[in-house]
Amino acid sequence: MGMDHARSSRGGTRRQNNGARRTKLTAYALVGLIAGMGALVAAAEPMYRAFCQVTGFGGTTRIADQLKPAAPVDIAAAGYVTVRFDANTNANLPWRFRPVQNELRVRVGEQVLAHFEATNLSGRTIAGTATFNVTPYKTARYFNKIECFCFTEQVLGPGETAQMPVTFFVDREILKDAGAKGESTITLSYTFFADKDQSAAREAEAEQRAGNHGLAHSDAKRYPASPGKLKI
Amino acid sequence: MSDIAHAGTDGGHDHSPRGWRRWAYSTNHKDIGTLYIILALIAAIVGGGMSMLIRLELTEPGIQFIEDFQFYNMVVTAHGFVMVFFVVMPALIGGFGNWFVPLMIGTPDMAFPRMNNISFWLLAAGLVLLVTSTFIGGGAGTGWTVNPPLSNADFHPGMAVDFGILALHLAGASSILGAINFITTILNMRAPGMTLHRMPLFVWSMLVTAFLLLLAIPVLAGALTMLLTDRNFGTAFFDPSAGGDPIFWQHLFWFFGHPEVYIMVMPAFGVISQIVSTFSKKPIFGYLGMAYAMIAIGFVGFIVWAHHMYTVGFNVETRSYFIIATMVIAVPTGVKIFSWLATMWGGSIDFKTPMLYAMGFIFLFVVGGVTGITLSNAGVDQAFHDTYFVVAHFHYVLSIATIFAIYAGLYYWIGKMSGRQYSEAQGRVQFWITFVGVNVLFFPQHFLGMAGMPRRIPDYPDAFAGWNMVSSIGAAITLLGALLFLWILFRTVTAGARVGGNPWGESATTLEWTVPSPAPFHTHEVLPEVGELQPAE
Repeated sequence: MGMDHARSSRGGTRRQNNGARRTKLTAYALVGLIAGMGALVAAAEPMYRAFCQVTGFGGTTRIADQLKPAAPVDIAAAGYVTVRFDANTNANLPWRFRPVQNELRVRVGEQVLAHFEATNLSGRTIAGTATFNVTPYKTARYFNKIECFCFTEQVLGPGETAQMPVTFFVDREILKDAGAKGESTITLSYTFFADKDQSAAREAEAEQRAGNHGLAHSDAKRYPASPGKLKI
Repeated sequence: MSDIAHAGTDGGHDHSPRGWRRWAYSTNHKDIGTLYIILALIAAIVGGGMSMLIRLELTEPGIQFIEDFQFYNMVVTAHGFVMVFFVVMPALIGGFGNWFVPLMIGTPDMAFPRMNNISFWLLAAGLVLLVTSTFIGGGAGTGWTVNPPLSNADFHPGMAVDFGILALHLAGASSILGAINFITTILNMRAPGMTLHRMPLFVWSMLVTAFLLLLAIPVLAGALTMLLTDRNFGTAFFDPSAGGDPIFWQHLFWFFGHPEVYIMVMPAFGVISQIVSTFSKKPIFGYLGMAYAMIAIGFVGFIVWAHHMYTVGFNVETRSYFIIATMVIAVPTGVKIFSWLATMWGGSIDFKTPMLYAMGFIFLFVVGGVTGITLSNAGVDQAFHDTYFVVAHFHYVLSIATIFAIYAGLYYWIGKMSGRQYSEAQGRVQFWITFVGVNVLFFPQHFLGMAGMPRRIPDYPDAFAGWNMVSSIGAAITLLGALLFLWILFRTVTAGARVGGNPWGESATTLEWTVPSPAPFHTHEVLPEVGELQPAE
């Protein structure tokens, strides 16, 4: 107590100055804290995207460059799953979109090609993109797509029908996942939406009007790895 | 900084601004606190009126008088926003916090008095924007969670949601500035001898609350900005048609939203701790445990957000984590509840109105806490999600418990703030009316929820008619209590008996009772020396 008195009477000015500096420092530190949280939020979108891709969260499938090198095949452990195909079209997109095959019985670890088919029912060229997910969600991290029409936007001319392929495999790791290995059926679901940005459709229309069979040409340019796409 | 602080309190002893300038330009923590409390009272009349509209519509099955269902959605939404951001937070944080943090730690004013002023007026502008949004194109009927796609431009094409977003931006900016002010004040401007471990628990609660605000509000602001650009500038953060994800919104919102519930209830913990100690005539039991329990609750509050989203399809491991983390919060909360009980145990309890309200708070908070543990189970929550069971749960903890803390604080401190004391008899009658009213209002909603009645729907099957009628009767009783309170408040400030510096006796140990009532414009100009206020064990 005596010490406090001495300090407040003799060192008053010095303490005030120290106090002002500490106050300033505290305020700056707090502003830094706010900025840090702001940076975290700004980074939240890419972080969430990466998180979904790594964990298969919300049915996000994986993208693989190629089939995983075949591990020594353990015949006893080799399993089969039924992959069901589901196709939906957003109400704002006048397309008919359906799977060519309803389901495939797939050997785990084996590369599979499946086809969907989309028809533009309208009289104008439209660009659309398909969103996708896999249920049950816990199987999504083992569902690898090598090539898919959903990786890029698709452009369909008036009345045009196109085959849309997807190449995928179910990772053998699924057999080691206690939670997911019991699943006998995986559903791969797509929903086609009209793109907000229709510049690709306008470009295709313009090329066609110019009379150089632009659609097939431009499609080939845009989707070099879609050999299954047929023009009817 | 000192020059700013100096400018704010310039003029010495005999000068105090008069007329409208005193309030509009105020840099005085007591005047700003009073402004916050007045704003909260006005907003409470608006938000409370909306809840009465909801209960009137739900009194009987079928549509009573709300023909336009978007109007019902808008009322539910605005009720939530107004109550959370413009009633509970301004009353507890802006109001009691501004009034009593500087008084309790023995400092003349807040660290940044002029920033304090802008905090208040940003909030007032936010309230105006929010009320404006209800008149634009049917209003925002998104619910307080503002979930896309309901809140996107397809389903809410008008400007109402944009107005609401900007209202929350302003309220958020106000809260962040206020939080900087509180933390800086509490960390740097305590009177000599007032160590952190001697601070009254109300000051501790404000310190923890301010940190929660600093960490949570920027997340809300970021999420709202993304929603704003989704709605107006063609981005697709939450739009699946272009690669976004509406669940992403829920993660961001609840990362803010769960700490937000502690932001609302933490200052209430502080108020209740002061009152229980004062009227049990004992120091608070387990002071350090109480302080660190608040820190623990605040910390764990940031890592449990997904328990609001059990139905979005997490895998079982994720759900297990969030269940366990959520249940862990019951431990520090239990520390607080049992410490309040232990403080009362063996005390010479004086059942004055603030104490009645404090005990009411403890009861209501325990009821809401127990249903919270029920809901923390993902399996149970899948069934109860979006039913009236959830409505009953969060109204017990957030609405009526915090409102009880506000009532308790107003009765406890009205003498200090106005210099006049309320009528004890009227106060007790008002307590019992309100206590009966809120329980008749919300307890039957547990039964409705367990029977499957969904939230946010203006109509329901006949099977739910009975308990809905009871609930609406409870709402009428609660309204009666609220009107009586307004009358008591009016009578107190206009004709209450003059009160001395410390009406509660020597067990009211905190520094605000050492200054006269009403607290003079300038206090603690000579810093008090603080000894053992609260034995820090």
